[in-house]
Amino acid sequence: MLLEGKNIDFKYGNEIIFKDFSFELNEGEKLVLKGESGSGKSTLFRLILGFELPDNGEFLYNGSILKNDNLKSFRKETAWLPQDLNIGNGSVKEVIEYPFQFKSSSVEKPAPNTIKNLLNDMRLESSILEKSFSDLSTGQRQRIGILTCILMNKSLMLLDEPTSALDRESKVKLADLLLNSERTILSTSHDPFWVERCDRIIEMQQI
Amino acid sequence: MIESLKCNRFDMEIIELSWFQLAIGFLSLLIPGAILWWYKTGLNRKMVIATIRMTLQLLFVGYYLEYIFEYDNPWLNLAWILIMVVVADFATIDRSDLRQKVSLIFPIFGATFLGIVMIDFFFLEVVIQLRTILEAQYAIPITGMVLGNCLRSNVIGINDFYYNLKENQERYQFYLASGATRSEALYPFFQRALQKSANPTLASMATIGLVSLPGMMTGQILSGSSPMTAIQYQIMIMLAIFTGTILSVFLAIIFSNRFVFFENDMPDPSIYKR
Repeated sequence: MLLEGKNIDFKYGNEIIFKDFSFELNEGEKLVLKGESGSGKSTLFRLILGFELPDNGEFLYNGSILKNDNLKSFRKETAWLPQDLNIGNGSVKEVIEYPFQFKSSSVEKPAPNTIKNLLNDMRLESSILEKSFSDLSTGQRQRIGILTCILMNKSLMLLDEPTSALDRESKVKLADLLLNSERTILSTSHDPFWVERCDRIIEMQQI
Repeated sequence: MIESLKCNRFDMEIIELSWFQLAIGFLSLLIPGAILWWYKTGLNRKMVIATIRMTLQLLFVGYYLEYIFEYDNPWLNLAWILIMVVVADFATIDRSDLRQKVSLIFPIFGATFLGIVMIDFFFLEVVIQLRTILEAQYAIPITGMVLGNCLRSNVIGINDFYYNLKENQERYQFYLASGATRSEALYPFFQRALQKSANPTLASMATIGLVSLPGMMTGQILSGSSPMTAIQYQIMIMLAIFTGTILSVFLAIIFSNRFVFFENDMPDPSIYKR
């Protein structure tokens, strides 16, 4: 098992977000958490990545409990697409290339052709690279975010509502690129198109 | 002949101001007072309080400095500099939108003090080469000017760094989730804080002399120095101010980062006022 959440309790102030929540994610599996907004789907990613600490319970990665001392090495294995898509500043090219400057980056800065091919797969023109990231539409930003996550080539992808701003054709392309690959993907979604194509669904209820 | 003329021209005694003459100066406040009152700005009370505070604070400092100048003891001068740094430390946090937390008070104090020590050592001992260590006539006004500017830059820099981080928290977390170390993920926030805090000093360096005559230079000319000596000192003080401000903002962010962040790389939310 690659990632496991065990008996997670978490609340914001008096609002209970998770009560005794558990899940398991196997290597290569595409698991989707389905639920309406407010059911804590995005919070789960923040808990897994250690940005929030659960009140009870623990997360295990490859059998080891995630704690402050191994959190940093765990984050080197992940690529996360946050829901608000605030993932960089400057031109689209700078946003895509920024994570490859990190010392931990296991892959080289992608070659221009690799980026161009992926842009093409995502139905985006190469000229978008010179545009300011903040000027893009939500759908364009979402595709650039996913593209960046794919290029990082990490063993675990955490995707928060990856299809929320995509048209039908882009969704088909994305599903083909990600769900038919060998990647391990944990995603949240309430889009039937995406949910139906994942290997397993966990229904999240608002508590 | 020319030399003696030169000496005579710049060796003039300053016209001493009597308390009565200074009191006449206060009459000028009737003009802004009337304008602010006519337009119901609600600032008249604030103007009166600010004027009283300014006068009392400067009189207090004036009396104290007379004492310090008379004794001119390096330890006493150092103590005065330390007091100025402590006041600047609390004023920095007070004027920013951050709370007075130990995790900010000590790092900003350390950064400002270390910055001032480096600037004072370089400019007072290496450039000017004072006759005695921390000679009051030079050390006190130069430290004061650099410190005043460090205070302004630190407020801008620290505030921008932590609030930009708060407003773009998901971007910071995206970098961390992509495997960045804390300092790698903070790099763009650091970059913007430095830009924001350096800009006012750079703008004033670019227009100095053309738009305004700076206070230190004006003071020196009024007290009888030649304009060229005053300008040499002014150039030196601008260099000291710019180096000092960048150094103290840099150190304040570096030092505070060590105390403000938890082990999971998240900043302590209790530092924020809003």
